[in-house]
Amino acid sequence: MPLFEGLGSGGEKTAVVVDLGAAYTKCGFAGETGPRFIIPSEIKRAGSPEAVRVVQYNINTEELYSILKEFVHLLYFRHLLVNPRDRRVVIVESVLCPSHFRETLSRVFFKHFEVPSVLFAPSHLMSVMTLGIQSALVMDCGYTETLVLPESLERVPILSAWEALPMGGKAIHRDLQRGMKIQEARFNLDGSAERPAPPPDVEYPLDGQKILHVKGAIRDSVAEMLFEQDNEEKSIATLLLDTLVKCPIDTRKVLSENLVIIGGTSMLPGFLHRLLSEIRSLVEKPKYRDALATKSFRIHSPPAKPNCTAWLGGAIFGALQDILGSRSVSRDYYSETGRIPDWCCLSTPLPDSVYEAGKMPPPLMKRAFSTEK
Amino acid sequence: MATLLQPEKVLYLVRGEKKIRVPLSQLYFCRYCSELRSLECVSHEVDSHFCPSCLENMPSAEAKLKKNRCANCFDCPCCMHTLSTRATNIPAPLPDDPTKTTMKKAYYLACGFCRWTSRDVGMADKSVASGGWQEPENPHTQRINKLIEYYQQLAQREKLERDRKKLARRRPFMPQAFSVNIHTTEKYGLGTRLQRQRSGAPIIALYGLSLKEGEDQKEITIESAQALDEVEPLPEDYYTRPVNLPEVTTLRQRLLQPDFQPAGASQLHPRHKHLLMKRSLRCRKCEHNLSKPEFNPTSIKFKIQLVAVSYIPEVRIMSIPNLRHLKESQVLLTLTNPVENITHVSLYTCEEGDPDDINSTAKVLVPSKELVLAGKDAAAEYDELAEPQGFQDDPDVVAFRKSNKIGFFIKVIPQREEGDVTVAFKLRHDFRNLAAPIRPTEEGEATSEAIWLTHHVELSLGPLAT
Repeated sequence: MPLFEGLGSGGEKTAVVVDLGAAYTKCGFAGETGPRFIIPSEIKRAGSPEAVRVVQYNINTEELYSILKEFVHLLYFRHLLVNPRDRRVVIVESVLCPSHFRETLSRVFFKHFEVPSVLFAPSHLMSVMTLGIQSALVMDCGYTETLVLPESLERVPILSAWEALPMGGKAIHRDLQRGMKIQEARFNLDGSAERPAPPPDVEYPLDGQKILHVKGAIRDSVAEMLFEQDNEEKSIATLLLDTLVKCPIDTRKVLSENLVIIGGTSMLPGFLHRLLSEIRSLVEKPKYRDALATKSFRIHSPPAKPNCTAWLGGAIFGALQDILGSRSVSRDYYSETGRIPDWCCLSTPLPDSVYEAGKMPPPLMKRAFSTEK
Repeated sequence: MATLLQPEKVLYLVRGEKKIRVPLSQLYFCRYCSELRSLECVSHEVDSHFCPSCLENMPSAEAKLKKNRCANCFDCPCCMHTLSTRATNIPAPLPDDPTKTTMKKAYYLACGFCRWTSRDVGMADKSVASGGWQEPENPHTQRINKLIEYYQQLAQREKLERDRKKLARRRPFMPQAFSVNIHTTEKYGLGTRLQRQRSGAPIIALYGLSLKEGEDQKEITIESAQALDEVEPLPEDYYTRPVNLPEVTTLRQRLLQPDFQPAGASQLHPRHKHLLMKRSLRCRKCEHNLSKPEFNPTSIKFKIQLVAVSYIPEVRIMSIPNLRHLKESQVLLTLTNPVENITHVSLYTCEEGDPDDINSTAKVLVPSKELVLAGKDAAAEYDELAEPQGFQDDPDVVAFRKSNKIGFFIKVIPQREEGDVTVAFKLRHDFRNLAAPIRPTEEGEATSEAIWLTHHVELSLGPLAT
């Protein structure tokens, strides 16, 4: 890397890439191979002993605004050590992020930190960018939920075929807390193999004074809930198959051979193998056997850990300075309209329009050389 | 945090985007706007970087190159404490004479807190004290760089196409609506309507720009990632092997190294220490600096320090008597003058229906006369013989006077039976702006003009006496 890169030798400064997850936030700079920091998405306030979660969707705007402001302040001045005013921002987010949260976040960035522009990048699309392929079926096993979204041909998400399940790390945590009291765990295998002998117990020291006894049976059965089918017969594995069923028939084979699994929960040892076996056994079931003709499933391994893959995609995109500017929402546009474009809302005008921005409606078809006024 | 002065009892109101009530010690004063500013209504900027353990300043270019990490200091990957370099003597053969051995120094890193050493992860001892330790490289770097190059090529292509579309020659029969086109307008001299529509159109000069189509561009192609049919299963011994807890890394230790995130403690390599930064503050309205620290990391002074305590008179509570419901009591307050010239201060009660007055639970009667404060004289601190200052003070209002400080009484009548007693009043004082005048002053106008500033002050006097 040349010594004076980005210091005025043509080109602007590298953009800041942030992936705000429910449990952890990955932050860093565009063009790098990994995030600089992975920090828990919470802030410590003077009043309460417990940390306050940053990504909350149910609190009122004022509270959320002040929490986000404090958190982004920490990001910039404790971890990234750069001026917010100089650099564009790429925010990697889930497509199901509530609009209210997005708007508050962009208000924090534009009004308080005065960044030049913000780009909201969908996390599933960004993960596909790390692989260099055209289409893939991306499953994000995060903290609050697991979300599947297929991307096909030219990297356009097939938005109608999304599937989600509120099963993630949070559910495992909840179950663990309950499971400490429940000694026995339920198994839901179809009676094929016998349940193996449980792994040995572990004594986990807490705080130097208390010791937590974790029974072996709990160790292996708690993660089972991700694959257990609930009353609607949905589990993480069925999500993938349901998505495939929803997709157009011609894309199914391509998608099933290009699976990408991202998200922190998927980093459990043995998760991928278990997922593949579940899918392969579920595809034989009558529900899917007739619907899906394809039986081959292949998984990609992106050039980053699964919890940083979406961030890496955002960093790769953020390094493309030619088009980053045109695809971002600039501060001028935000101060004019006061809103950011959202995929679910049709009323916002386009940022870079072929027509004048919002001043005149798109002209109707008129014949050439018309002298009408 | 408990302090002797209890500054949270006296709050000043800041009228920014939001109304914030903060002690005066945490506020800044913009003397160009003549207003109080809090940390929320100023913009923060990174001023300089430095390493917290070796206190070495790092210029921002170098910080960017080193990814905001110090070159010499390391963090323990287990407990995040700073690592220290230790030396041992090891016998090593002399270069000239292989038979004789001499003692050479070998250096290794060790943590003083958790006793972790660099030998635990298998890092060999180095023969130089500093500069020998390298951080491991991310194995995916090359692939990622290639991907970035490939996408940059695609992005360039898209940009060229977009530019080309703007200047493309329009076919005559296409509807005019959907293309921005200057060339045909010029050629056919079409009606002014079209020209009016395109008030923001790119300038004519751009049309002369010829796209470099014949340019020899190397096509960068990358191989798409290959998907795997089989993945590694869970190792068999997970079910039988007892867990060796000291060997398993905690989530926090793992996440400190985002590139590798090792699961085993024997792969935890130390990282260079992350830098800290010094911050400078700037008023959002007038873009003047309110606080600018010194460049040297070891210095705690400021180059520019426009803090509120050095411009605004400070109110402090000195003594509170027993407060009883609906009974008038006298509270002793002190007022300190931070500037060097004489300041006149007058206090007013808040009017009925004042929008700022939301917290007060008691009525307050403030002295109606104007209080005069002497200027702060640095030499007078050491002068034990306090000369009489010649101010005529009403003994009902002013309790004592000492150089630039006076103590005065206010009368408080608590209105509520329970809860804390809070009072509010307005403090009006004159402020002489010593910033350089924009226009040269006329002859005879020696002193700068005084402007009167009003602040809303709230005092919390504690609970009622039972």
